[in-house]
Amino acid sequence: MRLFWEISKLSLQRHLTYRAATIAGLLTNIFFGLLRASVLVALYGMRPEVADISVQGAITYTGLTQAIIAYLSIFGWYEIMNSVYSGEVGADLLKPLSYFNFWLAQDMGRAAVSLVLRGLSIMVIYALLFEITLPTTAGQWSAFAVALVLGLLVSFAWRFLVNLAAFWTPNALGLGRFAFGLTWVMSGFFMPLRFFPDWFVTLCRLTPFPAMVNTIVEIYLGVLTGRAVLWALLGQVIWLVILTGLGQLVLRAGVRRLVIQGG
Amino acid sequence: MLATFFVAVVLVFQRFGHIAGWTLGEVAFLYGLVEAAFGTMDMIFSGFDPGYFGQQVRRGAFDQLLLRPLNITLQVLGSEFVIRRLGRISQGIVIFGLALTLLDIQWTVVKLIYLPLVWASLVCFFGGLFIIGATITFWTVESIEVVNIFTYGGSEMMAYPMHIYPNGLRRFFTYLIPAAFLNYYPALYFLDKPDPFNLPPIASFLAPAAGLGTLMAALLFWRYGIKHYQSTGT
Repeated sequence: MRLFWEISKLSLQRHLTYRAATIAGLLTNIFFGLLRASVLVALYGMRPEVADISVQGAITYTGLTQAIIAYLSIFGWYEIMNSVYSGEVGADLLKPLSYFNFWLAQDMGRAAVSLVLRGLSIMVIYALLFEITLPTTAGQWSAFAVALVLGLLVSFAWRFLVNLAAFWTPNALGLGRFAFGLTWVMSGFFMPLRFFPDWFVTLCRLTPFPAMVNTIVEIYLGVLTGRAVLWALLGQVIWLVILTGLGQLVLRAGVRRLVIQGG
Repeated sequence: MLATFFVAVVLVFQRFGHIAGWTLGEVAFLYGLVEAAFGTMDMIFSGFDPGYFGQQVRRGAFDQLLLRPLNITLQVLGSEFVIRRLGRISQGIVIFGLALTLLDIQWTVVKLIYLPLVWASLVCFFGGLFIIGATITFWTVESIEVVNIFTYGGSEMMAYPMHIYPNGLRRFFTYLIPAAFLNYYPALYFLDKPDPFNLPPIASFLAPAAGLGTLMAALLFWRYGIKHYQSTGT
């Protein structure tokens, strides 16, 4: 456990040093947030509310999703793939920590920096530009915090699984792009899932993707209340268990097949 | 992947019907045209892709090119040619084709001649943005994420009609970066729609000037960048 926190801390310190990149990323996130807010406001037109989300809620949605994009890293994350192709994977597998935890520790350090420097700043800037929606009760805030952590874990387990493809093929990048593109739409990042036709929402619910973004968003906006919040959190836990388990199985099979390309 | 996003747009339109008066077909016209042009540009100008080019500068691969007795611009242009982009181009064409089936465009000879010109102008425009992004890496070394605002952000923005954006943003992408003249104003002409901002009708025909102008300005900046280039020493 100590080792886990040490690795997290190191990763956190490393990411803290990329200050210029953080500012650049912040600007980009704000710009895309404003674009997406304009599109949503135009889609709403005269309607005050669509699928239980008010205009204000929709604007907040664009800010919140931009705020957690770097934190969840669902944009595309190819670190394990890169380490497999560079050969570093050989040393990583020998570390006195499971391979999954070794990467999770690093990812948590990275995520912590993103959440505070990028996530929080974006929400503050949004609050200055617009009237944004905030959770109203302590219960909602804590459910949001739990969903935020679970969302990261589910997202990590998914990214871990996708990256393992590199153990089989020297060109897993295309598969990664496809997987992350799918995540983009089906997680509720592109648009709130409630805006889609029912059959599509049902289809998404059969996948782990909504557990990464949509659950966080719906709890924050207060669209989910009471029991529904608990069910949503439970859903995240279930997907976390499934994806982590799958990751272990695939990793075991992958290590047996692994051919290190020298380097 | 682009197709996935467009399917998502189609599904969302089922609920909303239109965006600020523009139907799905009209949005598909913008979206398809921009994507097909961006894909074409991305294939021809991949050597200037700021992410890729920054890496070449960092590794010193760019220095090698400078040593060769050949035109440097042509060398960078030829250093990478990504056939994979054919996917993006064909998806753009399919979306554009969908727009044509959904819309009832009144085709005239002028429109038929102007359409490929608009497409070529868009290619020049996006190419110019890539060159500017690449040139900036001479100073920053790292390719910077802000450049994405203009390249990927610009193309995403241009997929929707310009009148949905706040005035400041719209003016910026009309007068400072002439994006609006490359697809929104031509689209108004092709779709016979009135201009909510009452610019003179010639605004719809400025695409070639805006496209070539951006590319020329970018090449001048590129030349300035090369003159002041200092290697990273790697």
